[in-house]
Order: sequence, then C-alpha cells, then structure tokens
Amino acid sequence: MSVPHPPSTRANPRTAPSLELPLMYAVSVGFALVLSAWLVAVTGHAWSSVGQALLDGSVLAPGRWGNTLTVSTPILIVALGMVVGVKAGFFNIGQEGQLLMGALAMALVGTKLTGSGPVLLITGLSLGLISGGLYAGIPALMRFRRGVPEVISSLLLVFVAFQVIGYAITTDWFLRDPDPNRPSLAVTSAALPDSIRLPVINLWGNQFGVGFILALLLAGLVALVMGRTMFGFKLRLLGASSPVAQQAGVSIARTGTVALFLSGAAAGLAGAIMLASGASGARLTAGFSNEIGWQGLLVALLARNRPLLCVPMALLFAALRTGGGFLAAAGVDRTVVDVVQALLVLALLVPPAVQYLQDRRRGPAWSDTGETP
Amino acid sequence: MTDHLRSLPPLLEADGLTKYYGPVAACEEVNLALQSGEIHGILGENGAGKSTLMRMIFGLVEPDRGVLRMEGEVVGVTDPPTAVRMGIGMVHQHYSLVDALTVWENIALGESGTLDPDRTRARIRRISWSYGLSVDPDATVRDLSAGIRQRVEILKCLGRRPRIILLDEPTSALTPAESKFLFNVLLTGVRTQGWAVALVSHNLDEILRATDRITVMRHGRVVEQFLTAQARVPALAEAMVGRPVPLRTVTASFEEDEAARRLLETDHLDQELADPPPVPEEPSPPVLEIKNARSTTPDGRKQLDNLSLTVGEGEIVGVAGVEGNGQTALADLLAGLLRLEDGKVLVEGRTAPSGVAGAMTGAGIAVIPADRHRVGVVLGMSVAENLMLGDLPGMRNRGFLRREAIRQYALSLIDEYGIQTPGPDTDLGDLSGGNQQRTVIARALSSSPRVLVAHQPSRGLDVGAIEYVGDKIRAAAQNGIAILLLSTDLREILSLSDRVLVLHRGRVVGEMTKEEFDLERLGLLMGGTEDRRQDDR
Repeated sequence: MSVPHPPSTRANPRTAPSLELPLMYAVSVGFALVLSAWLVAVTGHAWSSVGQALLDGSVLAPGRWGNTLTVSTPILIVALGMVVGVKAGFFNIGQEGQLLMGALAMALVGTKLTGSGPVLLITGLSLGLISGGLYAGIPALMRFRRGVPEVISSLLLVFVAFQVIGYAITTDWFLRDPDPNRPSLAVTSAALPDSIRLPVINLWGNQFGVGFILALLLAGLVALVMGRTMFGFKLRLLGASSPVAQQAGVSIARTGTVALFLSGAAAGLAGAIMLASGASGARLTAGFSNEIGWQGLLVALLARNRPLLCVPMALLFAALRTGGGFLAAAGVDRTVVDVVQALLVLALLVPPAVQYLQDRRRGPAWSDTGETP
Repeated sequence: MTDHLRSLPPLLEADGLTKYYGPVAACEEVNLALQSGEIHGILGENGAGKSTLMRMIFGLVEPDRGVLRMEGEVVGVTDPPTAVRMGIGMVHQHYSLVDALTVWENIALGESGTLDPDRTRARIRRISWSYGLSVDPDATVRDLSAGIRQRVEILKCLGRRPRIILLDEPTSALTPAESKFLFNVLLTGVRTQGWAVALVSHNLDEILRATDRITVMRHGRVVEQFLTAQARVPALAEAMVGRPVPLRTVTASFEEDEAARRLLETDHLDQELADPPPVPEEPSPPVLEIKNARSTTPDGRKQLDNLSLTVGEGEIVGVAGVEGNGQTALADLLAGLLRLEDGKVLVEGRTAPSGVAGAMTGAGIAVIPADRHRVGVVLGMSVAENLMLGDLPGMRNRGFLRREAIRQYALSLIDEYGIQTPGPDTDLGDLSGGNQQRTVIARALSSSPRVLVAHQPSRGLDVGAIEYVGDKIRAAAQNGIAILLLSTDLREILSLSDRVLVLHRGRVVGEMTKEEFDLERLGLLMGGTEDRRQDDR
C-alpha cells in the first residue's frame, strides 16, 4: 500500500529543560534559605547556630540519624500510597485518618488478643494495612456509587477518624488504659506489650526500626509495579485517560477502588508500623498521627509521584522534624522551625509549578496540529 | 476592492515574523498583510506554520524576530488581552471553553464590567440570530458537540467586536451549511464593516470559495501568494504540498465558479461514482447490529432514540447527519463508554453489553473517535504505550510487561502505518495531529477487529492524510471488516460508503444504497424533512 508521507510532518521533541530545572531548584531553595536566615535573625537568634542545631538534631549528634530514619519510615510509606492513587487519577488526601485507623487496628490486636509476639505483630500489621485500605474504601464507594469527589470525602473522614480515636482511648471497654499508675496524665490507650515490637537495627551507634528497610523495599516495589507490570500500566492508563482505559477494558470503578484502597492501605500500614516501633510510648494518643499523613502527602507531591524520589524527600522531611526537636533546646521558638519548613516545601514546589505554567502558556503540544512543541 | 483602499497601509501587517522551536523553524521570515475589507486565506498542510503565525499575531506565542504593524504603526502584541483591546479576535482550532460553564457564562468570561445574565443572554441571541449561528445560551458546554462548541467560540470572538479576525481552521467541525453561513457572515462583515479576516485552512475548496487573496505556506515559509480570482486548484495544491497532487484528493469538483455556488454538485458526485470503491458482490449477514438503542443525557435530552442499524461483512455504511444528532453517542456506545437504557448491540449475533469496560473492544469493535484527545489517544504516554492498547493481553507475561515485545510491536506498526516519530518512546503528545491520527488508526486496525467505527476520521487532517485514511478504510472493508463511517462531511460519506443512513435527533430517518444516492433527498433528511432552502439564504 502506498503510504503518502506528508512532507512537512515532523515530531517535536519537547526541548529538554536539562539545565533549567536544576537551576530553578537552586535559586528557589537558596531564596528560601536566605529568607529563613533572615527570619531567624529577626526573631533574635544566630542563623548559623540554628542551622547547626538542625544538622545536629537530624544527623550529626549521636544516635540522631537512626532516629531520622525511623521518623522517615511512615512518611515514606504514606507517600508511596499517595503515588499509587494519584497515578491512577485519584486524590486520596485522607492519609492522616487512614493512618490512625491502621494504628487503631494494631492497638486492638496488641492489647486485646493474646498470643506469641511475632504472630500478633504480623496480625497487627496486616489488619492495620487492611483497615487503612477499608477506610479509604469509603470515599471510593461514595465516588463510584454517587459521584462524590474523593478529595473532599477522604479529607473530611480524617476528622471522623480523630473522633473515633478520641472515643477509643477514653472508653474503658475499648482502649482506655485501665492502669491508674500510668506514667502520663493524658488519656491514652494501654501500651503495646513489649513482645509486640518491630525489631530494631543497631548500626554505628544508631538505632532504627526494621520498618525503614520495609519502606525502602516498598519504594522499589511500587516503582517496579507501576513501571513494569500490566497492573501498573492499567493504573497509569486510568489516570492518563479514563475513556481510553475503559475502552481497553479497565473498569474505572473497580480499578479506581483498588487504587484508593492501596493508597489507604499504605497509610494504615504506616500507622501500624509507627505504633509497633514505639511511637508515643507505643500508646495510641489523641495526637498520635502527628501530621505524618499530611507530610507523606507533601512528600509525594514534591517527588512528583515518582516512587524512588519519595525516598530522599521523606528523609528530608524527617530530618526537618528531628532537627526541629533540637531547636527547642537551642531556645528557638518551635513555630520558627515550622515556618522554615514551610518555606522549604514552597521552594521545592516552585520549580515544577513554574515549569507547568510555562508549558501551559506555550500551549500543550497538542494545542494545535503539531506546529508548536 | 477600490484603489483608494489599496493605497492605505494594511490594517495589520506581519513583517519577517520568525519563530524557532529548538532547531526547527515553525515560522521563518513570514510576511503577511491583512487589508481592511479582505478575507485573506492562509493555506498549508499540517505543520506548515499557519497556526504558529496566527498565535504570534494574537500574542499567544512570542516571535523570535519580526514585528507587527497596525495601519503602518509598529505595535507590540504581548498577550491575548492586548490583542483583544487592539481589535484582534481569534477563533481557535481547539476550543478554549470551560466545560462546566454554560454558553453565556463562557461568553461573558473575560469581559469587563458587571455580570448581567439576562443582557448577556439577549446579546448572544442577537448575535447568533444576526449571524445565523444558533445556540442555546443556557446549554452547558460539556453537553455540546464539537460543532456547537465551535459556534460558541465564534460567537465569543464576534461578541467583542473585532476589526481583525483570525480564524484557525474554523470549519473543521461545521456542517457544509454552517460553513457557508460562517463565510457569509465573514463576507458581510468584511464588506460592510471593513473587517480584515485571516482564514487558516488546509481545505482548498473553502479557501477558494471564501477568500480574496491567498498566501500558501510550507515548512514555515510563505511559498506563494495568489489573488483568489486568478488562483487555480492545481497550482495551489502543488504550492501547498510541494509536489503535484492527483486531483481526486483535492476535491476534483472544484473549478473556478461564481462565489455563491453550491457546496456539492452532481458532477462532483458523478466523478466519485465513476471511481467506485470495491464492494462485496452480495449482501452478507450483519456483523454489527444495533437494535432499538435508547439513551438520554443527564439533562434529559434524547441522544439515541430507538436507533437500529446493521452493517454487513465488508460493507461500508455511512451515517450522515448534522453534527449533534447522536453521532457522538453512537460512537461512545460502540467504544463501550455509553450505557444504553434500552436496546442492544450484537456483534456476529452475540450481545455485547453496553457501558461495560472493554466489552465492545472484546467483542471485536474498534473505534476511530472524532475527538481523539478525549477518547482516542493518551497524551503523556509514549507512542509504544498507546499502540500496545491494540493487543493488551499479548503484552504481558505473568503480569509483567513484555518490554521488548512492546517495542517490536510498536516499531512494526510505526513502519506499517508510516507514523512519523523519533521513536517508540516519544510522548504521543509531541506528534503532529496527522501522526496521532495514524497512531489511532494503527491501533484500531492492529487489534484485528470485526467492526471498525470511524467517526470523522479525517477531521483536521491534510490532503495527503485524508487520502491515506480513505485508503485504509477501503482496505479494511476488503478484508471483510464491517465499517460504520460517521461523518458530517458528505463528500467523505459519498465517496466511501456502500450504503448511507441519515441520522436525525438520535434516530435513523432514512436509508439509501449507493445506487439511490440523491443529494436533494439526503439534504432534506438531514434537516429532519424540513425544507432547507431557507437556510441557504
């Protein structure tokens, strides 16, 4: 068959912003650091000592980097779940609540069931994963049955989760610690028995939970599944174009539910791991989630949904958390650290946003018949 | 055109406009003079730089070199709002409307002053009445067909009272009658209000019919300029493509004629019939059968109203009709995107459930959609990933993607279908429209379908690509595939179909075989048996 090739047709490889993007990152992060230094100076501290405190607290001081790895673990796992959901085109932003549900399941298993430690540990982690997933299944159900946007329902369910936890730890038959001689005055659940703890790795004077290794493996697994398997391809296809996906046999409701379940399951697992690593003294408390869910969401955002990029981003966030702890010791107001952290997040978000806007301004490649890249 | 007008500086003049994308010149040293009182046709194939030129004039793209002059004064058009203030209006090839808003809200968007819904609605009714482009101001854009959206886009532009109007492929979604209206509107505006109009097109017919002057572009350069009165089809086609073109594909019907001639003439039809596509000898049992299909939009309009049709093996059935009469619903149904309220779809006698993911594809129906960006291709995925959708089960091994198989599959289709791409891993969005369409066709045909649904398969394509699509469809029919061709382009329908059905308000209102083709009757049926002569005025 004669194939007439239109002589003027040509492909337009998008001009690769090879240098542009790193430069933008350097400029925006630099700007954020200068602004932070100024802010610290204005509030009456030496920015060099603040920086030193941050570094000491997160990496340099004895035992601190192990602590940072432990803190990064749930953040990373939450982010990986977020990546799966977003790739499939669904924005579950209720990780904070799903994480609490996972922790709740772990607490129930640990305090209500009896059995050998490892068995209970694995049961708790599995049930934590499932309850996080089921909690994200509620928005999925609402979305695919009634068309309720999952962004809103998943977010609002966070506040429901707070109430559930509050009820659990203040109710005697539920999780409230019956011990009148408990160390803290705050209302909490009973502590997880010592036999139900994730093993701790000792390395060069640092300790971190085995959960971190698990999180790293999970990052590799998510990258592999999304990039190399038919299941991952179908999720990505659904996220990129739901009509084409449906035509190709990918059911929007079924695959979308799976994606939302997975994103919630990751958060649930993160919560169970936190509790089993001894967070909050291995007790479920009112503020147990401690914004880990939100931070995981931010990590996924900053990593632009690349599972492997989530690892350094999660470490950075964890470092800011652990480093921030030392600042208080240096006499710096904790809120200053929060502002510095927010500035850094913004700085990391600016370059991709600018690029997105530039692309839009130029018009997407398909905005006409191939005449503009 | 009188002499004193010609002696004035042009209303708008582009001088040496140049735009590079990387090493590629989208436009190079382009000069263009738009005179008040003239329609200036800009002709060229896809990728010739026409759209880029328009976008530079409208401030959407910043030129690397060159200046714009209005009435002899150099002006800086930095962005579209500036262009609008200076009296430049543009009708885009792809529509820039907000789906969730209504027509009047879209038109009010970007205007200054307070929002007055009633006045805006009244104004829209007035403009659409006076220009013959009827549209319901309260309809939600999401529910409108491509053709109606185009009308809204045009109304939006005209509502801002521009002096210079840039139209980028305005008729690609319009029916012949609507196109003719548009040209009448433009002609009236040009003659009475002194508009300067730039009409971008790769359609020789309409360029010759509607313009006063023609600039032909190729590879980002102006290759020739003509006065329309002196232009001839062969010379234009050759300037555009850069080689002589067989006349059949450039619509042989068109020869110099009075400006108000009919779009389709019987001599053109005869010529097409003299060169008939191959047809099977006798009718075969239906491969595709749709029985009493009914569906309604969420806002209660009937999309498909008791629609029934059959397509036999190797048969090409054309579905003619004015855009917005159920074509999109029909194509969506056969793509598995629409759930029927009643009725069924049968492929080779077996029922294929409607609205179930993958059911239609699994039953052997492949679709070339009209709006390929909505349902055809996945922008943001690679060419190979788009192509592999034609054979998903064959691309996995124990749940893993067979990466080498995918690559080989893509390479062979790229070769077979002449898809111009740097490689299989290139983002599909980086290909030109014609090559995206080739990808869609390659995927549809490589899935070895029993039924091929082609909805406006050559919309927005250039001469060479249209010829290619027609050849592919004929070849598929010869291989025994049942083909349902949905098109608003009667020329396309008549040149390819063995049988023509007419769709009106979601139902089949008429049918004629190849031997019975009768344009007069076809026109009447498309208009819902109303006499369409009043439209012609």
